[in-house]
Amino acid sequence: MDQQARSSRIGLEFAQEMKRQSQRERFVSWAPLAVLALLVLLFSLTAEGFFSLKNLQNVLNQVSIPLVMSMGMTFVILMGSTDLSAEGLGGFVGSVTALMVLNSKTTLDMGFLAVVIAMVASVLVSALSGLMHIKGKLPSFMVSYAVSNIMAGFAVLAYRGEPALIRDPFFTVLAQGDFLGIPYLTFIALGVFGVSYVLQTRTRFGSYVMAIGDNEAIARNIGINIDRTKLKVFLWLGVCIGLVGFMGAVRIGRGEVAIGSNVVFPAITAVVVGGTSLSGGKGGVVHSLLGAFIVTVINNALVLLGVSPYVQQAVQGIIIIVAVALSIQHGKSLIVK
Amino acid sequence: MERKRLLSARGITKQYPGTLALDRIDLDIYAGEVLGLIGENGAGKSTLMKILIGAETASGGTMEAHGQKYAPRNPIEAGRMGVGMVFQEQSLILNLTVAQNIFIGEEKPFVKHGLVDRARMNQSARKVLDAMEMQGIAPGARVNRLDFASRQMVEIAKVFHAVSSCQAEGTVILLDEPTSVLSEAEIRQLFRHIRRLCEGGNAVLFVSHKLDEVMAISDRICVFKDGCKAAEMPNDNVSESQLYQLMVGRTASGEYYQVQRQRTPDAEVVLELKSLCQRGFFGDIDLALHRGEIIGICGVVGSGKEDLCAVVCGDRNPTDGRMVVRGKARAFRGPHEALRSGILSVPRERRVEGIISEMPVFENICLSNYRAVRRHRLISTRMAKEQARRFVAELSIKVAGVSQLLGHLSGGNAQKVVFARVLASDADILLLDHPTRGVDVGAKAEIYGIIRDIVDRGKSVILLADTLDEAIGLSNRIVVMKDGLVTRVLEAPSGHKPEQLDIVQHMM
Repeated sequence: MDQQARSSRIGLEFAQEMKRQSQRERFVSWAPLAVLALLVLLFSLTAEGFFSLKNLQNVLNQVSIPLVMSMGMTFVILMGSTDLSAEGLGGFVGSVTALMVLNSKTTLDMGFLAVVIAMVASVLVSALSGLMHIKGKLPSFMVSYAVSNIMAGFAVLAYRGEPALIRDPFFTVLAQGDFLGIPYLTFIALGVFGVSYVLQTRTRFGSYVMAIGDNEAIARNIGINIDRTKLKVFLWLGVCIGLVGFMGAVRIGRGEVAIGSNVVFPAITAVVVGGTSLSGGKGGVVHSLLGAFIVTVINNALVLLGVSPYVQQAVQGIIIIVAVALSIQHGKSLIVK
Repeated sequence: MERKRLLSARGITKQYPGTLALDRIDLDIYAGEVLGLIGENGAGKSTLMKILIGAETASGGTMEAHGQKYAPRNPIEAGRMGVGMVFQEQSLILNLTVAQNIFIGEEKPFVKHGLVDRARMNQSARKVLDAMEMQGIAPGARVNRLDFASRQMVEIAKVFHAVSSCQAEGTVILLDEPTSVLSEAEIRQLFRHIRRLCEGGNAVLFVSHKLDEVMAISDRICVFKDGCKAAEMPNDNVSESQLYQLMVGRTASGEYYQVQRQRTPDAEVVLELKSLCQRGFFGDIDLALHRGEIIGICGVVGSGKEDLCAVVCGDRNPTDGRMVVRGKARAFRGPHEALRSGILSVPRERRVEGIISEMPVFENICLSNYRAVRRHRLISTRMAKEQARRFVAELSIKVAGVSQLLGHLSGGNAQKVVFARVLASDADILLLDHPTRGVDVGAKAEIYGIIRDIVDRGKSVILLADTLDEAIGLSNRIVVMKDGLVTRVLEAPSGHKPEQLDIVQHMM
């Protein structure tokens, strides 16, 4: 019948519409790789010295801290939260690490134990800020922003205005040395990526984070312990922030609060540019790996092109807006607050 | 030949504020059968499902599963007792694989040294899928790579796996409108799965708006009407028209809807839809709304009536066709532009879409039109309050004062405030989406009066009614939609109101 033919046509159109949407999503999920390739091609042609072994080492060195930071951030964003605590907390960890190893200010020389202590502190603080978010139902970005400021204050108090210089040769070598031309710090970062990858794809924790980000109500109905999963995310974030603080301190050779400045924004940019949705449930650590390289390559090339650092910052701002705009599905009645 | 009873409900009652959603329902589900559940929108089918799965608690009555007391507080507890449900909105995590979805929350057997053995999990998922004859679905595939039909199958497999791992023998699976996104071939496949499930000693409760499907798959059919079980019968020698007859709800007197006040519409056409179409939702809609007319649009969920209204009030864009408002072709970029053309929608979810709970009554009333309460380009609180007092008196809204926060009002009074806002706006084409939902009987009658008043002032109404009866009682004309198309247009002048049966058979 005519009626039947027409109504099944509408059903068919619906199916086509859905298919188009999923094709588009598939395309978007591959886009970061294409963008990275395009950027490398573009900068190889325009920026002198970009396409060289020396610069590849540079990029690998520069990517290490954003990569570690974005690995922690990926899980936070995957479950739909945001965390800004790294700025102060990372600075704090770097500062106290420098004070506990062989240094210019104190008589301590705890070596690697200092790193462990600082890391534990980082994990505890992150857990605390996570608990305030989870149990206190406070917005994660606000709590973590406050925690960041508190820890930044503690950091400066710890070294009383004059940062400690790291004198331990082990850490100096760690910061400057390389193996097969790849800096040690990059190996640490890749190790963190490997652990993150396993966490995301091979553990219950990874699945639960994805479920919570996709739809918390479903996750609850399935019987997932939401609070515990969220807390674990903040513990992992604490580990990553601790590493970032430590790596930052050994790289500049002293423990000051500024280590934490400008680690949060590139990491969030990397996560979002990689294709992890800010509302959660989509993307993952592989995306963030690509995102971290995209962000680093752009910054690296801008330096080579002689662009002013202030313009670089503006470029990063533009990138994040464009990335977020591209990742949002249009045509849906989306309510944003 | 005593059949094994898997699930039984006795005297299940559900009272919502203002409405009795379920009235003493008795239901038995036996091993090996498909029980079809049919009924109009709002007949109580979904409420019953929610109670059976533990998503809602009944106000009265008892349930038994496998001969034991059954009072699930959530779907997990229901699952432990062998009752599972495939929800209409899919509950799969799109970015995980099929296997991860099937075993989510149940990964323990696959974990070794804290890591999930994905290969072993995929093997087990393969077994679950094979048992359901879903060979075409790869356990390692991510769900967002699958088409809708496969997702639906995975959902069924997941629910089946979850309930069959419970100790009890024979499980009950509730399917809520499982076919709405499936093609015909896929529906046939789904039916085969359902049959196989039942042959294995399980039972399926099949809820659908599509009568032919219910008749094709069910062993028994249960008809719901106005929160009551109207009939229960074996599915042999039942005709569609018989079922329609049973589904049709109670009829209130014409007086209730103030039919004597129904006016004959003017000849002037205020809104005309010309082959309006939104790809995938509805198509070929031709409709002319006259000044002073109420058109009721009837259709089941998914018929496209909501989508049509969303397009008319400017919330979504049509893909084809034209809208002509008072002789001028219009395209809206949003509801604010529709309002400028005099079109305003009164949404269904009052608490979410209709009122600003944290604002006082008088501010809610002037929200859609500030011009009336403006002095020297600023809003005059005094004028806004005066306007509000006028409406409070006119619509007899029960408030402590016009400064009372709207969130503190009862459903009926809150809805009247919404109507006050509509009257305060200059809009003369109104889309009323379930204007009496969640409103008690007394307030309903008053709202019907307000609707009559509105039309008397020369405004026109498109109505998505709460019940068929309401649509018939209020409307001048009734448009019936099914699967995105208009299947019937019926005149409904006072004195010659169409029967509910005429509408229902074009709806389902």
